[in-house]
Amino acid sequence: MPPLISVEEVSRVFTGGARAVTALERVSFEIQTGNFVSIVGPSGCGKSTLLKIISGLLPPSSGKISVGGKRVDQPLENVGMVFQAPVLLKWRSVLGNVLLPVEFGKLDVAGYLDKARALIQLVGLAGFEEMFPHELSGGMQQRASLCRALVTDPQLLLMDEPFGALDAMTRDELDIELLRIWEERKKTVLFVTHSIQEAVFLSDVVFVMSARPGRLLETIVINLPRPRTVEMMSAVKFGEYTLKIRSLLSTAGGGHAAAAGSTM
Amino acid sequence: MKASWKNIAEPVVFFVALLVLWEILVEIIKVPAFILPPPRDLWVAFIKKLPILGNHALITFIEAFGGFVLSLVLGVGFAIAVVYSRHLQNTIYPLIVILYAMPKSAFAPLMVIWVGYGLFSKIAIAFLVAFFPIVVNTVVGLKEVEPELLELARINRGSDLDVFKKIRLPNSLPYMFAGIKVAIVLSVTGAIVAEFVAANQGLGYLVLQANYSLDTAFALVILLTLAVLSLGLFWLAEILQRKLAPWSAAVREVEGSF
Ligand SMILES: Nc1ncnc2c1ncn2[C@@H]1O[C@H](COP(=O)(O)OP(=O)(O)O)[C@@H](O)[C@H]1O
Ligand SMILES: [Mg+2]
Repeated sequence: MPPLISVEEVSRVFTGGARAVTALERVSFEIQTGNFVSIVGPSGCGKSTLLKIISGLLPPSSGKISVGGKRVDQPLENVGMVFQAPVLLKWRSVLGNVLLPVEFGKLDVAGYLDKARALIQLVGLAGFEEMFPHELSGGMQQRASLCRALVTDPQLLLMDEPFGALDAMTRDELDIELLRIWEERKKTVLFVTHSIQEAVFLSDVVFVMSARPGRLLETIVINLPRPRTVEMMSAVKFGEYTLKIRSLLSTAGGGHAAAAGSTM
Repeated sequence: MKASWKNIAEPVVFFVALLVLWEILVEIIKVPAFILPPPRDLWVAFIKKLPILGNHALITFIEAFGGFVLSLVLGVGFAIAVVYSRHLQNTIYPLIVILYAMPKSAFAPLMVIWVGYGLFSKIAIAFLVAFFPIVVNTVVGLKEVEPELLELARINRGSDLDVFKKIRLPNSLPYMFAGIKVAIVLSVTGAIVAEFVAANQGLGYLVLQANYSLDTAFALVILLTLAVLSLGLFWLAEILQRKLAPWSAAVREVEGSF
């Protein structure tokens, strides 16, 4: 089967500032349909940039991206996006926020109402449909933003450190819920995180990236049974995966630490 | 916030004590009435000249509120135009900033030449002083949108009009109201200053008349009336904000709840 996403020799240089910053350097990989794939790497290694390039929001400086066999040269249609902050509209209820993509896409809002309500229920926000963002906890806000990403039923979900700002317990909870939704709805997920544990726990495949300039260090296939459970985190195999990624990152980070420091 | 008895009683007791102290001090030190009359005299002046006060207050209100409404309509419109047009941003906006740096009340004598001696020169000055805070705040509110929201709009093929209606405009409301609250109080000051320069009606005119005749008690009554007028307008803005942008009020309450 051809891959859903193919990234070939993608580089990106930012020239706007006082000096040119190479955010990504010749990154290549493929993602299969239905896979849960994570990208881990130190802060500033170009993870967000990569996600933006794949979504078509940002053009690469060189290289080629295709999604579903089509070259990406404009924002992708029907992709779900979840960001580190919930970025909900403060003046809209949970339901109103979830329906925002439907309204933007000039789709039939009434027709999507049931779908939106079902999603809100699915993420455990039933009863909060008419509440406003400031009345919700951070975890609940992020659940709402997950619903917003899912409401148009996109094939592909791009998530940029979505639970990075939450406390560890809420994060674990949301990780498990995300897996449940992913298994139920059969999406392809590209998940950016700086937590090695989270990446291993969630993913079929983990891409490990190096610090500036962002390069793909290694692709690690996670052979852990599904559905994943919290108990698996204490399994020997789980530990081996995290250790491997950690040592990859520390050797790569060591070589670049001085350079990274001088460009700050 | 719950209004407990203490929250009402404390200021009342404070202000009554202040008035009593004022009355006693003026009595003991024997301050001449034209310098500082006792509060009793203010009350007498207020009752005696209430109809005159009302008429002139209405004039000042019309000038200030007219200028304010004008500044709201034109200011918001201008802010939107600046945010959406690079040309305006490069040309008219710097001009506005230069104007902003000038003391607007210094335009009052010129306004008499340009628009005449009547109400309009006062409305013009009230407009001038109220225009800038509204423009500046609204521009910031329209621009300071989380970039992720704009990405979301692009991914979902949201139109520019939708981005404006559903993101930028509501996002700007709390900022706009911050500007409105400054502007609405400034507009009263603007109207008064314009009346100082050339007028035969309004509270600014009236306070000058009171000064000429050394009627300090009445002058103070007029100042208090101006305070009530400004506060009333400010409250009106506050109530409107709670109605139209309740989320900004909620944010503020969190910040101020220590
Ligand atoms: N719009 C931009 N303009 C200039 N530099 C940018 C821009 N976006 C990102 N960068 C730079 O590119 C590098 C990678 O950023 P980013 O993709 O946000 O990293 P990550 O998400 O892995 O933390 C950083 O050095 C950052 O400063
Ligand atoms: Mg990032």
